[in-house]
Amino acid sequence: MKLPVYLLLATLPALAATGEIDRAKAFGNPSAPLTIELFSDFQCPACRQLHMQELPLIMRDFVNTGKAYLVYKEFPLPMHSHSREAAALACASARVGKYEQVADVLFQTQPSWEASGKVFETVASVLTPAEQKKVQTLSKDPGVLSEVERDMQEGNQERVNQTPTMLIIRNGRKYPIGGSLNYDLLRRFFDDLISKQ
Amino acid sequence: MTSSPSNKILTVLVWLARLALGGIFIYAAWTKLRDPWLLFAMSIDGYKVLPQWAVEVVARTLPWFELALGLILVTGRLPKISSVAVSALLAVFFTLMVRAYVRGDTIACGCFGPGEQISALTLLRDGSLLVGALFLAAMAFRPKKARFISAADSAKLPDFEAAPHRAE
Repeated sequence: MKLPVYLLLATLPALAATGEIDRAKAFGNPSAPLTIELFSDFQCPACRQLHMQELPLIMRDFVNTGKAYLVYKEFPLPMHSHSREAAALACASARVGKYEQVADVLFQTQPSWEASGKVFETVASVLTPAEQKKVQTLSKDPGVLSEVERDMQEGNQERVNQTPTMLIIRNGRKYPIGGSLNYDLLRRFFDDLISKQ
Repeated sequence: MTSSPSNKILTVLVWLARLALGGIFIYAAWTKLRDPWLLFAMSIDGYKVLPQWAVEVVARTLPWFELALGLILVTGRLPKISSVAVSALLAVFFTLMVRAYVRGDTIACGCFGPGEQISALTLLRDGSLLVGALFLAAMAFRPKKARFISAADSAKLPDFEAAPHRAE
């Protein structure tokens, strides 16, 4: 009888940490009819386009209205030399509550840090000095690195083979959408899914 | 009926190509029809070759056309029409995929449902299907005599159509 209780107690911190991390990289109402898992790479130009063009519309029409729950997932591609570092820094920033700001600055200035390799300097531009220190330390923390790894494994399990890929989840069914998007079609697709019970 | 070993092989190859292509077309149709049509519309739109109204028409009709074509191929009916239709369709798909690949577009293939990016592997697969379809078309339009008898047989059987069951 005691063993299951000990096992449960032992796993509680890990479960709590996972939930905390997910919340820091998630937006909207967790019980919204749609869940959007966005597998993205900070160095990918198509991800930059999605982040700067379509994502604000998705936030406006679906996330902020309680129709969708958006969860960011890291999927750094091996062909991009600074992707992993950027993903780790973004995840570390999530732990100080700055994921959105860091994601914004990384995508907005992508061509610049991609050429210079100055990823941390870019991230630091939206953090306070105290946060910078914390994020720099956290970005090398095994917990943060394993979080990036976990997102990638999850993407591989879902057969994500390109970035960006949005995994739309409705009533347990998953619909992957990859590559460039036509927002009008996407909006109608979301509305169609939401209207179905 | 007289048939040389090479003709027997060709007959078997036609039969296999027909069943394989038919099965693949039925599967391709099913992967699109099981999901909302707007999902396939987004894949088509990724190629950036059609206006949105045409994208919607194609997304709603193409899976049904693929299903019909697959069933016709499997049943072996209308060999000329079906082989030309499947060749033309695959030629269009293949051309668009090569165009997107060469341009470096990171778009979904849309071949078998969502979530498959165009890659060298998808090009190889669809290119192989096109070769199979062209083979079927070539065999369907082959002169009737040549379809069943080799040159050696034809020397022995000058009028095959007139004596289809003649023993050697």
